[in-house]
Amino acid sequence: MEISDDLDATPSAEDVFEHEVEKVFQETLGLIHIALVTHYQLSEQEATELEKDLFVWFRRFCYRPGASVRENRPYLLVACCQFAREYQKYVVGTGVRESDEKLRSILDREPADVAHDFSRSLQLFDFRRSDA
Amino acid sequence: MPDTARILPFRARPVAAAYSREEAAAKAAAYIATPANQRTLASLDEVLADGDVLMALIARLWEIINTSPASVADEASQVHKWVTSREPRHFFFDERDYFLGESALLAGASLRLLGKREETERWLDRSDAAFRHTVAPAAHLARVSYTRLALRYDQHRHEELVELTPSVSLTFKKLGMVIDYAKCEFLQAMSLKQLGRLDESATLLEGLATGRHADAGLTGMVLVNLGDLRADQGQLDKATLAYAQASPLLQQAKRYAALADLKMMLGGMLQRTGQLTAAIEALRESVKDHLDLGMETRAAYVRLVVAGALLEAQRPREAEWEILAAMPTLDEQKMATEAAGALALLRASVQQRKTDPKALLRLRECLQGNN
Repeated sequence: MEISDDLDATPSAEDVFEHEVEKVFQETLGLIHIALVTHYQLSEQEATELEKDLFVWFRRFCYRPGASVRENRPYLLVACCQFAREYQKYVVGTGVRESDEKLRSILDREPADVAHDFSRSLQLFDFRRSDA
Repeated sequence: MPDTARILPFRARPVAAAYSREEAAAKAAAYIATPANQRTLASLDEVLADGDVLMALIARLWEIINTSPASVADEASQVHKWVTSREPRHFFFDERDYFLGESALLAGASLRLLGKREETERWLDRSDAAFRHTVAPAAHLARVSYTRLALRYDQHRHEELVELTPSVSLTFKKLGMVIDYAKCEFLQAMSLKQLGRLDESATLLEGLATGRHADAGLTGMVLVNLGDLRADQGQLDKATLAYAQASPLLQQAKRYAALADLKMMLGGMLQRTGQLTAAIEALRESVKDHLDLGMETRAAYVRLVVAGALLEAQRPREAEWEILAAMPTLDEQKMATEAAGALALLRASVQQRKTDPKALLRLRECLQGNN
């Protein structure tokens, strides 16, 4: 019987990096989804599509010079809020969707400020995780 | 919400082709290998419109900037022009600004290597303006600042550089950008050397030579300049050892410009020890290597060094030829009054076929900071 040597294969630095990008994205996805659906009032389908775009952007963003993948997580939330705001403003602006007070209020806020609030949730999450 | 369905043209960005990193790198390499006159508009769009391939293309251009600065300058300005012509909706989030900033920084950094200082400044301004609108601009703006510092070094503004470098260094340190941090420290050491603060410079260079940045090219450059400093201090054994250690590292990193500099410094050391024939040979090789790299300003400076060695070897006619060959490039440079005066004196003495060694030395000293 042949024995595979796959177990001995050490993943390349690039594989480790890609894995880390996916891991951080997956860890943040719950919060992203809540931001898109609950706060920015996107439909489930719209949110899923936007999340795909966000992943493509975030992966490339992590290859830019600068911070580590994990340190880039707050920027993922900024991008999420910016994407969602841009999209909802367009949809509301074309008259396809009506806006209510709650939506108007969040669209009026700067995406970076909204993301900052969400980041606090992340910090809380990290705190709980390290506590555990 | 209306009952009738309506197609929203909002997301006009093409979905990424999802190339693997290897596929994107292969496409970028094939693009660079295709001569510009054989590229069609369609092929240009196919490559540059894909964010992954564009990222790979930019990464590849950074890899070859020290070996092919002229072609990187051309490619980077083409990428910038293409991205400028596209609307933000064709890009993901902040990527238009990022690609504009990155291509402008590439163009600026490569033009600096080619000695085109005014163009460099214009490209750095463009880079700065674009990076400012990206999501996390600190790292990129610090990279632009680093190139501005390097430009100040070229312009002999060492006092300013010594004052301003620590702030940029600190940014890189905070962001964990080890190689960029080491490059800043290297620049600081080089300016200290120019200011005659040799001990401080040597301490920094020795720290970098044994440092943790793991960049063969940078370590090679550090050793070349440590060797030069030791030669200036008359410690020729230490200088020779540093040059010997530098050479394979620079070969490994394909840092051909630094290898050309190494030949120039070796030539200088041989001249100081009276080995004029070997010195002239090494210096002429340095001129040729710089010319092959398209670094005409630097080659013109080294020609003046060759001329000095030729005068010392009682070969004044050959010295005149070297000076005359350097003149057209020197004439194109925007020189300080002092350097322009030295150049005029030298030109007059060569025209009378009595090359003035003092004018030559004065001009070299004036240009040294620029080179």
